[in-house]
Amino acid sequence: MITELRPIPPSVELKAPQTAPLLTVDRLKAYYKTQLFGVDREVRAVDDVSLKINRNEIYGLAGESSSGKSSLIKTIAGAIRPPFRVVEGSVRFNFKDGERDIYKLSPQELSAIRWSHLSYIMQGSMSVLNPVRRIKHAFADFALPHVSVKGADFTRLVERHLKRVHLDPAVLQAYPHELSGGMRQRVTIALATVCSPEFIIADEPTTALDVIVQKGVLSMVREIQQELGSSVLFVTHDMAVHANLTDRLGIMYAGRLVEEGRTRDVFKKPLHPYTAHLISSLPRIGDEAPKKGLEGSPPSLADPPSGCRFHPRCPLAIDICHREAPQMVEILPGHRAACHVAQADPTRVEAVA
Amino acid sequence: MRAYLTYLSKRLVQFAVVVFVGINITYLVTHMTPINPVEQSISAATAYGATSPEAIEMMRQSLRQLYGLEGSPWEQYVSFWKRVLVGDFGPSLSAFPTPVSQLILRALPWTVGLLLVSTLLTWFLGNLLGGLAGYYRNSRILKAFGVLSMGLHPIPYYVVAFVLLIIFGFLWPVLPISGGATMASDRSNTPAFMLDVAVHSILPVLSLMAVGIGGWFMGMRSLVSNIVTEDYVVYAELAGVKRSKILQSYVMRNALGPQVTGLALQLGAIFNGAIITEQVFGYPGVGSLLISAVHAGDYSLVLGITTVSIVAVSATVLLIDLLYPLIDPRVEAR
Repeated sequence: MITELRPIPPSVELKAPQTAPLLTVDRLKAYYKTQLFGVDREVRAVDDVSLKINRNEIYGLAGESSSGKSSLIKTIAGAIRPPFRVVEGSVRFNFKDGERDIYKLSPQELSAIRWSHLSYIMQGSMSVLNPVRRIKHAFADFALPHVSVKGADFTRLVERHLKRVHLDPAVLQAYPHELSGGMRQRVTIALATVCSPEFIIADEPTTALDVIVQKGVLSMVREIQQELGSSVLFVTHDMAVHANLTDRLGIMYAGRLVEEGRTRDVFKKPLHPYTAHLISSLPRIGDEAPKKGLEGSPPSLADPPSGCRFHPRCPLAIDICHREAPQMVEILPGHRAACHVAQADPTRVEAVA
Repeated sequence: MRAYLTYLSKRLVQFAVVVFVGINITYLVTHMTPINPVEQSISAATAYGATSPEAIEMMRQSLRQLYGLEGSPWEQYVSFWKRVLVGDFGPSLSAFPTPVSQLILRALPWTVGLLLVSTLLTWFLGNLLGGLAGYYRNSRILKAFGVLSMGLHPIPYYVVAFVLLIIFGFLWPVLPISGGATMASDRSNTPAFMLDVAVHSILPVLSLMAVGIGGWFMGMRSLVSNIVTEDYVVYAELAGVKRSKILQSYVMRNALGPQVTGLALQLGAIFNGAIITEQVFGYPGVGSLLISAVHAGDYSLVLGITTVSIVAVSATVLLIDLLYPLIDPRVEAR
């Protein structure tokens, strides 16, 4: 019995995440290895991280400064330079035209998948555009090698894309310094998506913007993602942004992934004490209790604590936390965490904050 | 456009003030030197025999008249400016009565030719190699070149000039070591004469380049090694933009600004002549002319040469100010 004809809401029914993951990061270890005056130093910025990102989803990555977020996404993007190097593990993309292991590609093969399959929105939108050249040259430099059209056809393609993301094609004639911060960020996002990449890495694209502009940029990211059906790895330390934008959320602490699940689940029922603290720090309407900070500071990645890296700051720490590093275990359906306490009794963590 | 006209008129006023002050300072300095050109000429004339005091006094009178040294200092100053404004620096005191402007015009093409070639070549090569060395930091050839040019850089250029003279004039005498062209040659613009001039300029140009290239090289290399860490370069590399494209349009293009300013200042200074190089190689340019003018106490000539170079330096600075918005769009015409 059909009583009303409502359009099917997009996103959920039409473009449900497919099951085969687009990105598989497997036991990835990437360290900064330096040698100064014969003293070896090893900073374990990414330590044993495994995660999967599905097609057509926005995966959020959160964590405080120096938790290894940026190092992880640089490793995923294959954009690392010595002394930072991959020690173990793999980063595999399952693109439409075949699977690729980022660290088994030649430099030419890597250049070929950039922008067409894998693109990157860098932190610091203020300075990622060449100050002495017009925006149109940036589009030509970045996208022209990856599309089959040239000349006027290429310009039409770029203009069509700009219109699609609600930007005036006149920005092509502008120099970066003639645009506002928000505009520049939107141009950068347009630049990163002009070739319809399957996977987009966004490194703190909203951090330097005020909340009004931030909202515009976030809805732009969401809209483009829906339209292209790509996956986005979205990194920010701003939990409010994650709550509004991402489908799934991973929390990093001291170079490790400590919790991962659907964003809603993570916010509702955090399984790691660190996540619980992060979430309780968010302001809530009607909540007048003063916010308590977490004692201590993030550990040095050159000399991390034994066992669970969070144990020196953890109010729930028990004996085993000092000795053994907890593994990521699926505690609830689709919700993983690396915490001895939560693995024994998931309800204990909620009470912490 | 209106903003640009305001900018232009401001820069023009600035130019006029700089030139006026500069010439005044030179005028003051030359006129306050203890050297008296009249006494200089008299002692030259009387060096080879006794002359009666009356005759010397008469000579003094007529020389003062000829040199335009009559009247109060203020009257002299005013008549100096009247003449300068029409491009007349008066007669040379040491090569009397040849006009100063004629002497300068005769020497200028030699100096400008020599220094224009060496300055432009040095700038181009230094920046190109410096830029490459900053971008391709692991290249052995460029590293070796860096060491060589840094080693040469602190050596005074006349020392390099003498070394070149010894090598190419004495040990392996293949190049002319002195003069702007062969003495008795036919000085019309024939290809043979041009070739002769070019061959004569090889050693002076080489000695200027050997020393000058290091400065540009090191300056450009450090500019570039800063620019390669800028976000827009890192981002372009991340996007897989071709390295040659990045070097050209992202790195070099951004490093060029300060180097162009430096070039303009050097081009302006061309009119000073390369005093010591011209002395060493006996080159008939402005530098040699200036030295002989100073020795002879010929302050009309000194004043003429400095005025030309003050105007030239200020004019190139003005020109660069006017052209800079084209190099860097962020510099607005204000």
